[in-house]
Amino acid sequence: MFATLAGKALVPVGLAVTGFMVVCCLILYSVIRDDLHRGEIVHATNLADTILKSTRYAMHKSDRETLATILRNVGEQKGVDHVRIFNKKGIVTFSAKSGEINHQVDKKAEGCVVCHKGDIPVTNLGKMEQARTFMNNRGNDVMAITAPIYNEPDCSSAACHFHPAGQKVLGTLDIGLSRQEIERSLTMLRIQMIIFTIMTLVLTIVGVTALLRRNVFLPLHKLRQYVENNPGKNNQVHPPPHLPHDLDTIADSYYNISLQAVRKKDVEKNNEPGHEQ
Amino acid sequence: MDKSEKNLETPDWLNSPDFQKQKIIKEIDRLHRASTRGLWALSLFLLVSLFAWWGFSILPDPDAVTAVLGKAPSSRLVSIVLIIYTFSAITLSLARMTSGIEHRSSFSHVGFLTAFFLFYFFDRALYDNYWAVFGAGITILGVESYRIWSFCSEGVVKNKGNLEYITRTGRMPPED
Repeated sequence: MFATLAGKALVPVGLAVTGFMVVCCLILYSVIRDDLHRGEIVHATNLADTILKSTRYAMHKSDRETLATILRNVGEQKGVDHVRIFNKKGIVTFSAKSGEINHQVDKKAEGCVVCHKGDIPVTNLGKMEQARTFMNNRGNDVMAITAPIYNEPDCSSAACHFHPAGQKVLGTLDIGLSRQEIERSLTMLRIQMIIFTIMTLVLTIVGVTALLRRNVFLPLHKLRQYVENNPGKNNQVHPPPHLPHDLDTIADSYYNISLQAVRKKDVEKNNEPGHEQ
Repeated sequence: MDKSEKNLETPDWLNSPDFQKQKIIKEIDRLHRASTRGLWALSLFLLVSLFAWWGFSILPDPDAVTAVLGKAPSSRLVSIVLIIYTFSAITLSLARMTSGIEHRSSFSHVGFLTAFFLFYFFDRALYDNYWAVFGAGITILGVESYRIWSFCSEGVVKNKGNLEYITRTGRMPPED
């Protein structure tokens, strides 16, 4: 297959076109996934900011019931996996899931270790570092954001319950969003790209094969048949069939050479002694 | 004819059929050996890919390396360079195939592809871009292997024809 004319024409073209398409699709897919992931993080960070701003007044007033209700309502929203607030010691103080309240968060868990890997925890993280992805107990992919609740002047000076001014972080809001929709979109994109690549491969191979067959292989076959059958019976030389340029020059040359050879043979035959004129 | 002209003359044994036959047989052997070079390069790349798949466990942590060498180029920039490199390498290989140029080695491509793996590794983006580099490697080295193999096969066929001609006629065939 590789040594035939068709193989020599098709293998490099098919391999090069398909390979390049696959590489471009893979890189494009990676870039799109990266962009979607970044968008997801920005969306989750904005949501976390919104929650923090919504709960700020309740925190100032130490209105624990309002705070719990806000978190519960946010947690009931479609696409929200979990939402909770834990204090500096890592104990969950508010959560959309009542079973989590008063439970200790593992500082070595994924997402916590980013700030707690050293002796002194990191208090400032960029938006992208705040995010983590993991699989929850139900086996669904979750993207979570941990937003620190910073101690601000009005927190430390509030009359109701004040925090010491030296305490930089009062607690952390942890919100997790389901990645099912994004995963579904990425799966669809992956399938579309595979179909697109296969279609390109088929089109390239079929296109090149059709053009080669029409312009090269069939005329070559005709030329070969013509050469094999001429001169025919009784030394008769037929004019060549219609062939594409280059091949018709070869056929014409063969026709002329064959004619000359036949004529020469006739002359020699006529000159033979004993031949009747 | 003076002495210096006499020295420039080709010795008779160089034109002898036996010597020419030996030369052609050696050339056929060389072409046979050279025809597998593309596959060797492909095998080496597969080995490197296997290390990359295991996360280059023998290399130091990317953070330790970037602390010394500075930040690695962004994965997006590396991806753009990878596309340009793949396009150029395929074009170069197809151009060599068209011109019938003998360029026996494709090991340099293994080096370039390993560099792409390393850049992604140090930018902690190897997991997302592994298959892109792997696909680029298989494509480039596949086309290169085919080019080397087809060039050597044609050479072997031509040399076998020449050998047959010398055995039959006792002289070298006319040049193409």
